[in-house]
Amino acid sequence: MIEHAYLIPLIPLAASLIMLFGAKEDPHSPAPWIGIGAMAICLGLSLSILGAVMTGSVSVPYEHNWHWFSFAASIAGKPFLYDMPIGVLIDGPAALLLVVVTLVSLMVQIYSIAYMHEDTRYKRFFAFVSFFTAAMLGLVVSSNILVGFLSWELMGLSSYLLIGFWFEKDGPTEAQKKAFMTTKLGDSGLYLALLFIFAKVGSFQITQIQQFIHQGYMTPAVATVIAIGILFGAMGKSAQFPLFIWLPDAMEGPTPGSALIHAATMVAAGIFVVARLYFVFLAAPDAMLAAAWIGCATAFLAAAMALVSYDIKRVLAFSTVSQLGFMMCALGVGGYTAALFHLTTHAFFKALLFLGAGSVIHSVHTNDMRQMGGLSKKMPVTFLTMGAAILAIAGIPGTSGYFSKDMILANIYHANRPIFWIMLLTALMTAFYMSRLFILTFWGDDRDHEKYHHAHESPFLITGPLVLLAFLALVSGYMLNRNELVYRLLEKPTITATASTEAHGEEGGSAEHHEGHLPHGLHLALPLLVLGSIGLAFALYKGPKYAVADRLKTKFAPIFRVLDRRWYLDDAFDALVVLCDQVATLAYWIDTHIVDRVFVDGWGLLMRIVAEISNLLDALFVDRTVDGFGGLSLDLGVGLRGLVKDGQVQEYLMYVAIAFSLAATLILTR
Amino acid sequence: MNAPLTLAHYMTVAGLLFLIGIFGALTRRNIIGILMSIELMFNAANINLAAFDRFLHPDGVTGQALALFVMTVAAAEIVVGLALLLAIYRGTDTVYAEDFNLLKG
Repeated sequence: MIEHAYLIPLIPLAASLIMLFGAKEDPHSPAPWIGIGAMAICLGLSLSILGAVMTGSVSVPYEHNWHWFSFAASIAGKPFLYDMPIGVLIDGPAALLLVVVTLVSLMVQIYSIAYMHEDTRYKRFFAFVSFFTAAMLGLVVSSNILVGFLSWELMGLSSYLLIGFWFEKDGPTEAQKKAFMTTKLGDSGLYLALLFIFAKVGSFQITQIQQFIHQGYMTPAVATVIAIGILFGAMGKSAQFPLFIWLPDAMEGPTPGSALIHAATMVAAGIFVVARLYFVFLAAPDAMLAAAWIGCATAFLAAAMALVSYDIKRVLAFSTVSQLGFMMCALGVGGYTAALFHLTTHAFFKALLFLGAGSVIHSVHTNDMRQMGGLSKKMPVTFLTMGAAILAIAGIPGTSGYFSKDMILANIYHANRPIFWIMLLTALMTAFYMSRLFILTFWGDDRDHEKYHHAHESPFLITGPLVLLAFLALVSGYMLNRNELVYRLLEKPTITATASTEAHGEEGGSAEHHEGHLPHGLHLALPLLVLGSIGLAFALYKGPKYAVADRLKTKFAPIFRVLDRRWYLDDAFDALVVLCDQVATLAYWIDTHIVDRVFVDGWGLLMRIVAEISNLLDALFVDRTVDGFGGLSLDLGVGLRGLVKDGQVQEYLMYVAIAFSLAATLILTR
Repeated sequence: MNAPLTLAHYMTVAGLLFLIGIFGALTRRNIIGILMSIELMFNAANINLAAFDRFLHPDGVTGQALALFVMTVAAAEIVVGLALLLAIYRGTDTVYAEDFNLLKG
């Protein structure tokens, strides 16, 4: 089956093109089932590949390349032929991510059948989702980072299309522009990194780059530059500080689209690319440290913002940013396995959270959690499945989030103590704000009677995916963690001792397994702390009026304001743009008023003066001389002709005779 | 007085004859006179031809034959000249050279 891996991105791509150009827009259009069928086929393929990889019936990494193009270039005078193959590279993380992406995308599409059926652009949504998924799958399977970059950019396009899906309104159009430009800023870093890689390695093949580093050809300085570029790309795509500003606004899109962006495709891409090119990071310890601190800052800042938001989707968006911060931080401290493990489990429970939130919004027609409350009686399935997701993301023992987050924290604990304490606090904040969301939405009594009255459980097409995802959110962590499967599947790449400062390969797997466990006391204390944090949320937000929380809010108003304004980062970016605008205006003024006036115009004027002088000299002296010679010749000719009488044949003859005799005399007497 | 005739003698005669021809051509008013003077110059040249041939290449008669050809050409030329003169005279009622200035420029 693995030899057909190239079909996995191509099938959804074909499906999306068929839906986009082949189908007619109609509320009862059967077109979405094309996308769902295509995704189901991909899911089957991915599952069989994952099964083969897990049982070890194929050796990973599996790579197969086809000829794409080649070009000749001369390097230092020697002709050289660059070969650019196109192909698939399946290793453990890729196989796992294929399943995650196709599964989440399939769930999202089934869900959207019910969720989007009233929309005027029904089938277009499915076409976009398929296209988005195809781009992500292309990035996952590609053996060539040039193709990967192509998919990466197509994902940027898709997110633009999905976020601005309801482009009649101002909010989505603004949000899509913001998302596109912010991620593009990060992409420029990745692009530079790719150029650097090609300049150094001469190839875009991931395995060849790995080979290059294995043989120790890459100096730490170059590796750091490349790694920082890749990290910058991932900061844009995976919404890391300070480029996470686009993600909260991306909530303007349809909720299933948000679920896709947050769980499976867009934001996972950044983490995945960093993991895919992890050997570059291993060769660049400085970049690793930068990634760790960026992840730490992201996780903390986003979690703090999630504490105060009342928009259910915003809270989820901040929580995504925060969890991505966890993953980035884990990658930064060397917790490769932990980061990808968390990426997987996070995909399940975050997709579930978004789809559940969509179900709630679908039912009560508002995003504001203050107008919800008590929905557990009206929407039991959504309530229970969301509850499962909350348990998972909070890290209650036994759920998927517990295993992965525990592993991340353990990795950080062994690598960097200051970061560990910040991240521990962030993990508790996560438990708090997710519980807060849960309580405000489902617990207690109804706050808005009219909205409550109209609320109803969603149809089966919505609840079905929720139940399946809830199952995965609860057990996927255990399944993957059993028998240390996750370590085998997501094996951390190594670089040889010559390039690496840490002799990781010699100690073998046991060292990493050790890194995956917290000290015993902390290991036991963590769940208790999480439970305490959940209890705190209950204490603060219980009851319809949550008076305790309101009192806290008035007491700590400045802090709340800072968090509500999202740490003023948006304002900072706005100010930056305004500043840039002013600088540009100033530069324009200098250009037009000083450079143009003084240098360009002045130089022109000077040249004109010189030219006028030159013209005058020309007219006075050169022309006069030329004219003088002409006039002289004319005068001489006229004068000579005047000597001759007109028309007298014999006179002419006489001159001829005289001239002839003179000439003869001259010749003969010489 | 019995010294043999040399090339110089012939050339002197030819030169005198040519000068006479030049003088006539420059001074005669009547065009017929001018034509006659030109004939004299022709003949001076012919004498030279014959004399050079006789003294420098005694074996052949090429130069003398050439002189005969020149006489023929001169006869043809004088016919043309007289025909032109006749035509001019019919148009202008004069045979004096100073009246012919139609070609002045």
